[in-house]
Amino acid sequence: MIKIENLKAEIDGTEILKGLDLTINNGEVHAVMGPNGAGKSTLSYVLAGRDGYEVTAGSAELDGENILEMEAEERAAAGLFLAFQYPVEIPGVQMTTFLKTALNAVRQARGEEELDAIGLLKLMKSTCKNLGISDEMMKRAVNVGFSGGEKKRNEVLQMAMLEPKFAVLDETDSGLDIDALRIVADGVNALRAKERSFLVITHYQRLLDYIKPDYVHVLADGKIIKSGGPELAHELEEKGYAEILSTYEKEAA
Amino acid sequence: MTLMKSLPTQKLERWKYTNLPARLKKFEREIATAEITFDGLNDLIMPYTNDNPDWVNEITSRSPAGEAQYKDMALWTAANDAPQDGYIIDVPVNYQTGKPLTMIMTGGNAEQVSPRFIIRLARGAELTLIEHQTGEGAYWNNAVMQIEIGDGAIFNHYRFQDNSHDAVMTVNTHAQIARNGQYNAFTLTTGASMSRNQIHADLKGEGAACYLNGVNLLDGKRLGDTTITVEHQAPHCESRQDYRSVVGDQATGVFQGKVHVHQIAQQTDGYQLSNSLLLSQQATMNTKPELEIYADDVKCSHGTTSGMLDKDALFYLQARGIPKAQARALLIQAFISEVTEQITHDDIREQATAIIEKWLTAL
Repeated sequence: MIKIENLKAEIDGTEILKGLDLTINNGEVHAVMGPNGAGKSTLSYVLAGRDGYEVTAGSAELDGENILEMEAEERAAAGLFLAFQYPVEIPGVQMTTFLKTALNAVRQARGEEELDAIGLLKLMKSTCKNLGISDEMMKRAVNVGFSGGEKKRNEVLQMAMLEPKFAVLDETDSGLDIDALRIVADGVNALRAKERSFLVITHYQRLLDYIKPDYVHVLADGKIIKSGGPELAHELEEKGYAEILSTYEKEAA
Repeated sequence: MTLMKSLPTQKLERWKYTNLPARLKKFEREIATAEITFDGLNDLIMPYTNDNPDWVNEITSRSPAGEAQYKDMALWTAANDAPQDGYIIDVPVNYQTGKPLTMIMTGGNAEQVSPRFIIRLARGAELTLIEHQTGEGAYWNNAVMQIEIGDGAIFNHYRFQDNSHDAVMTVNTHAQIARNGQYNAFTLTTGASMSRNQIHADLKGEGAACYLNGVNLLDGKRLGDTTITVEHQAPHCESRQDYRSVVGDQATGVFQGKVHVHQIAQQTDGYQLSNSLLLSQQATMNTKPELEIYADDVKCSHGTTSGMLDKDALFYLQARGIPKAQARALLIQAFISEVTEQITHDDIREQATAIIEKWLTAL
């Protein structure tokens, strides 16, 4: 379970998150939608622990532990996973080396036994197969020369291997055509489980046709301003954000 | 002339970035004492993999100065004036050494040594030499290596400069390469408080080639200087310089690479690349590429970059659970892998990797 309370964060002195509350129970998928500049990406980076964001108030507890006090790698070990909007290219670091290092670092931190080369290869092969990723891709450097779709599939591959308790998908649909979107969504859906929760951050309703959320929230001005069921996403798609925003502004005034 | 007075100063263009006399201050007493001798061959071990080949011999008396046409003769002269010790390696015609020859040079505290090596490969010979420099304490090793590569001969030369961090290492390598001969050199610098790795390669016969690669790993207040001159003196020759420097803390890296294409050297193919990674704000890298071309039909260029670790890449790795220090090490290894992966000999590449990992762990 992830419980975010009164989260405030700023970049270079500018407040972006202004008291965000959000609770996601195990097994639930929540979508956060919002206009550009609402703080969607900031939320994902603050949760994952990227440098440059200062948390000024609030907490984010993953199974009772405040992850905001941890280093990025400790959060990953604790069970948080961020699927990047723009996966980073790392020339010179081969996919297999990367996966092995990451998986064993996480397993070690979780008190699990490290995987040997054969165990890793087996796991990698079966996961790749499920996601339609070629073995050849594993011989390349991390994300280097990958197409947009391959990069996002690679994020899902890492998610599947690291087995997080809580996964944040930051605009996973951006830059994907409909076929790639379906493959990625299928990969995510396959990982849905009783003990795992998801936060799907997106600008468009389209992704939510494939990854069906239990709850939808509207993020604007650094806060959740409206929450509802999956129908809220359709409402937003039809009417846009303007109406909800103006209602919110009137209430705030 | 005493050794101290003959030292090159920063007034010399080729020594602009490296203040040798200042770095040698603590050795002044040793250097001033005439009795100081290279305490010898006990410190030089050559575990032959072949049966002690008769073509490897100790230098027993002062050797002639050689015909080196050096641009800066200072250290050469210094070494010549000092007591001599070292080896002569004469690889016979068409001789192929199977396994690499390993040479271990060990420095001891308060020593000043000036070993001399003469390595000659006769026509068609091939030699792979691993030169492993280690030691403990403060010492100055000023080595000279004269290399003559005959027609079609190939010399693969690996230098692991892993000296004590209190030592000073200056080494002059002078290679003369005849027709279709090849000099392949790889230098890994992880040691010495100050090192000057000076390579002078003369491409003397048609089709001669030299491939000079190196990785310089510098931390603390160490200085690592690589200064290269390649003389293209014949047509159809090829030269490559490919270096990576990782400079942390308050360390200083120097790379000076000169390619001189003589008028006769048509169809020269020369390329030089020096990339560096700076790990701290106080780290310094001085890079000076020089091309001097007198022939009109040549392909000759150079490239250089310097930058910091990619923060986005670092975060990406950490977000996948890889601890920061390990993530940095991965990115540094990735940066230097473009050069280390060119080591074709598996065992030697593993030796290099082990030294690199040791350095990264201590970082």
